[in-house]
Amino acid sequence: MASPTVRDTVHATDRVAGELEEWQLTFGEGPCLDAFTGGGPVLVVDLRAPESAARWPVFAPAALDSGARAVFALPLQVGAIRVGVLDLYRTRAGGLSPHELADALAFADAAGMLLLDAGAGTQPDTADLAWQRDDPTAHQAQVHQATGMILVQLGISAEAAFARLRAYAYAHDRRLGDLARDVVERRLRFPPDPPPGGPDEP
Amino acid sequence: MNDRQLAEAFVELADTLVDDFDVVDFLHQVTVRCAQVLGVSAAGVLLTDQRGTLQVVAASTEQTRLLELLQLQTDQGPCPECFLTGRPIAVADLATAASRWPRFAAQAVKIGFASVHALPMRLRTDVIGALNLFGNQPGALDPDIIQLGQALADVATIGLLQARAIHQRDALAEQLQTALNSRVIIEQAKGVIAERRHLDMDQSFTLLRSTARTTNRRLSDLARAVVDRSETL
Repeated sequence: MASPTVRDTVHATDRVAGELEEWQLTFGEGPCLDAFTGGGPVLVVDLRAPESAARWPVFAPAALDSGARAVFALPLQVGAIRVGVLDLYRTRAGGLSPHELADALAFADAAGMLLLDAGAGTQPDTADLAWQRDDPTAHQAQVHQATGMILVQLGISAEAAFARLRAYAYAHDRRLGDLARDVVERRLRFPPDPPPGGPDEP
Repeated sequence: MNDRQLAEAFVELADTLVDDFDVVDFLHQVTVRCAQVLGVSAAGVLLTDQRGTLQVVAASTEQTRLLELLQLQTDQGPCPECFLTGRPIAVADLATAASRWPRFAAQAVKIGFASVHALPMRLRTDVIGALNLFGNQPGALDPDIIQLGQALADVATIGLLQARAIHQRDALAEQLQTALNSRVIIEQAKGVIAERRHLDMDQSFTLLRSTARTTNRRLSDLARAVVDRSETL
């Protein structure tokens, strides 16, 4: 599922996955919608459990009929930026192992970044993704602070501001955290002046 | 620290554990109380992102340099070591830690810290994060202070789990991820406020938090509204 305004299925791997999305969109309830609004994963280890039926009285039985027994909905998000939800299902009851969860979260990160780039109009770039995955500064607080500052500077959404920051870092071969620090310490504004002295001039 | 302060701290924290409270705000309060009742200069909480890295979720002061120091520990430092071993780490004198964690020790000393302790946040067999205590004088904390610190670390863990009714056993993963993302929302909101009002990040956080308090809103809800610009601070 993607986009905060238009809820639609971007891709489903098989019939069951497709139906799960369809039930949630049709009934307006389900783990995916809860993950989207709640801002955290919703991990349903057993759809047949009474808690599941109580939480989603229409979705749970329909999902069981489709052949799913456990559902894991992972939001694709960076703070207030919400690009969608990755839904996974399993035909038997049971939770994800720590290892499986780590993999699922990593997949959700990658999918989120690709959707973010696509939404911002930049061509999804797997080289860019790999580069930022290996950037140890990518999760620093200043990256998110800089996103907030840029969205005000340019009068754009957080989603677009974050895409701009990442694109700038990639284009100038700089680590995201180092670039964000320049923004936070007010040495760099967006859009940067193009002076002869280089992009980091005040 | 006196008994009254201590009792107040626990009462205040217990009072916070009401329906639908804000986890990041709660953890922030824990760190502020830690600094007060344990007599340390600063405290911070790091939580596992369940992908093998620790992330900063709260700090007693929003001082950017302290946040950076905590952040640095995603690679090295007492916190990751405490997290990996599940045991408390005590460094009475950071001057002796230069070979153990060169970058961390140098940075901590530069900011003015002389000692550091890390206490595990444990849930049954899982370690989910660590509480860091920084002192500006060298010296190990007394065992009874450590014990008290551990009690506060346990309160922080309980708070994390209390955040919403627990539907199934994977609630911990849900809470951890939600808390980490809330932290990111707050950082984004700080950026928005800092730019709009020409404030620094600490001032922006203070404004955000005091507004949430006075209007009786959850910190992360208000932060989200600020980033979405459905509300202006």
